[in-house]
Amino acid sequence: MSHAPTGRDSAAGDASGISRADRIANLIIAAIVMVVAVAAIVATADFPATSLAADVGPARFPILYAGALIVLCGILIVHTLRKPAARPEPARPATGRGAGRINVALGIGATALCLVAISYIGFAIATALYLSGIMGLMGQRGKLLNPLIAVVATAIIYVTFSTGLQVPLPVGSLFE
Amino acid sequence: MYELDMLMRGFQTLLTQPLALLLCVVGVIVGIVIGALPGLTATMGVAILLPFTFGLDPLSGLLMICGVFFGGVYGGSITAILLKIPGTPAAAATAMDGYELTKKGQAGIALGTATCSSFLGGTLSVFVLIFLAPLLASFALEFSASESFALAVFGLSIIASISGKSVTKGLIAGFLGLLIATVGLDPMGGFPRYTGGYTELFNVPFIPVMIGLFAAAEAFKSMEDPAVRNSLGTTLGRIIPPWATYRRMLPTVGRSSVLGIIIGIIPGAGADIAAFVAYNEAKRFSKTPDNYGKGELAGVAACESGANGCTGGALLTMLTLGIPGDAVTAVMLGALTLQGLQPGPLLFREHADLVFTLFAGMLVCYVLMLVLGLASLRVMGRILQMPKSVLTPVILALCIVGTYALNNSMFDVGIMLAAGIIGYFMQKWDFPASPVVLALIMGPMAEANFRRALSLSGGSYDFLYNRPITVCLLAVAIVTLLLPLVRRLWRKPGVPATDGGTDNAALASDPAGNGE
Repeated sequence: MSHAPTGRDSAAGDASGISRADRIANLIIAAIVMVVAVAAIVATADFPATSLAADVGPARFPILYAGALIVLCGILIVHTLRKPAARPEPARPATGRGAGRINVALGIGATALCLVAISYIGFAIATALYLSGIMGLMGQRGKLLNPLIAVVATAIIYVTFSTGLQVPLPVGSLFE
Repeated sequence: MYELDMLMRGFQTLLTQPLALLLCVVGVIVGIVIGALPGLTATMGVAILLPFTFGLDPLSGLLMICGVFFGGVYGGSITAILLKIPGTPAAAATAMDGYELTKKGQAGIALGTATCSSFLGGTLSVFVLIFLAPLLASFALEFSASESFALAVFGLSIIASISGKSVTKGLIAGFLGLLIATVGLDPMGGFPRYTGGYTELFNVPFIPVMIGLFAAAEAFKSMEDPAVRNSLGTTLGRIIPPWATYRRMLPTVGRSSVLGIIIGIIPGAGADIAAFVAYNEAKRFSKTPDNYGKGELAGVAACESGANGCTGGALLTMLTLGIPGDAVTAVMLGALTLQGLQPGPLLFREHADLVFTLFAGMLVCYVLMLVLGLASLRVMGRILQMPKSVLTPVILALCIVGTYALNNSMFDVGIMLAAGIIGYFMQKWDFPASPVVLALIMGPMAEANFRRALSLSGGSYDFLYNRPITVCLLAVAIVTLLLPLVRRLWRKPGVPATDGGTDNAALASDPAGNGE
């Protein structure tokens, strides 16, 4: 998805400066992708040679793509390091920014927990609890309303997929 | 004219078959619903309804399946525009500008444009199917592995133009997608690559990745900002685009529909490829290409007309040659055979009445899609009036259940979540997600066809330059890849790109952004 510009850097795109946080992020991401690419190339050593004389084998394309990734990450690193530092932005309240990050982390954690819970207590109960929890996390405070909305939404989803589209949703190992 | 007379007779026959017409309505409604739900594709919809057609007469059964097919391709755009959940892979292209328009409060006009463009693209493709089927069928036979490889390379070259602010970051995302696309069984030898012993990874799980990168990532992002978290949704606004606005987009719609038809005819290429190619060409022909990706109405029109243009093209080779253009038509081929009909040139001779009644029914399906689509948009649009604090959890729940429904696998849901987390960080640091999805669609096609072509040519690379269609497609791919780079170099430093896409003022003046 090409997103609307956020005012951050575009390492290879424009001539404006780059903030310290963005510079570090670019370098870390480029390093991680390079490690992944190198690991992908190393893993191809285990791929068998092709039995067809006219075939390039299963390793050629992954090596090609991983090689291109390493070159592109190198370009990103060079561009990032060569870019001048941006003028410092007016400081944003650290508490709001921190709270936002914590919310995202909690949301991701809750989603992971929901996936685990589905296996044990089934889709219906896990999803209702999950919806109620995320609504609370996002500022929807209602001791009665949250669970009610969660149960209704879960019921609609359940009926649509399970009854309407014949998808066998998990009932959970505790109830099997 | 023989075809026109037969079509008129087809309409007359159809009017005497109320069951067939009723099943058209049922098919279109089921298709739109299935298309709109994440994870459920038109292929799945057709497969679900296939058993119901066994007891029906051939016309009613086939028309119901056509309704699901057409509605399914269109339905994906609704959630893509409203919620950035691409219901189908083709809608991933629509989401790029559609969701940006929703953020600007122009969801209604984006949905209306998508519906009208889907109708026009699809209808045009059915007319091509009726009048030019024998002529175009031979074109499909020109496509061997080398041409399909060149088409995939052309598709991949689009990455440069959908990269957003930084081509480098777009290319990194694209090549990462290509590397991920190599996970699974090697297309020639069947050797499992990077699967870690998991059989679930034998096929590239690209729909879970797509749902994660687009929908889950956006949902996680909306948890970050308290202003977004607590906001009430926006309203839908006007649905049917003003004629003056839509008229300017007609050349884009026409061009995208033709591209969709051509891509639909090519075996192995489907609506997803058509949508991305149509988007790229619309951007290339536009006078304001910088607006694309920021909420350009013509971008939505191009994707939808291209995707739906594919339907007639895919049916063309299936009916005339018995070659299914994509997975949906492969299932439809089975339905035809079950009904005792053998696709091929003889079908048009021995069952001409049935075939032309079927064509008339397809046109009716598209009219129904337009009417039902426009009528349902107000109801669908009520989603936007939900508070974000309720909508976001529901989106996440839909992501989970939609991904699970693909293969009844929690493993896929785990991949979706991982892709969602990666997508969130990609958004945060301006790495576009669309190149990853495009690479996941085109990567396996490129590798499989390259290696097939190489084997067919006995290990010689001649096929890259001695087949005219291959050479043309590869040349266009090089131009497409280099054009954004040249534009960036050409642009004077310090002169910012036109920002904002289609804003309200621009909507009145030149929403197509092409000045045509």
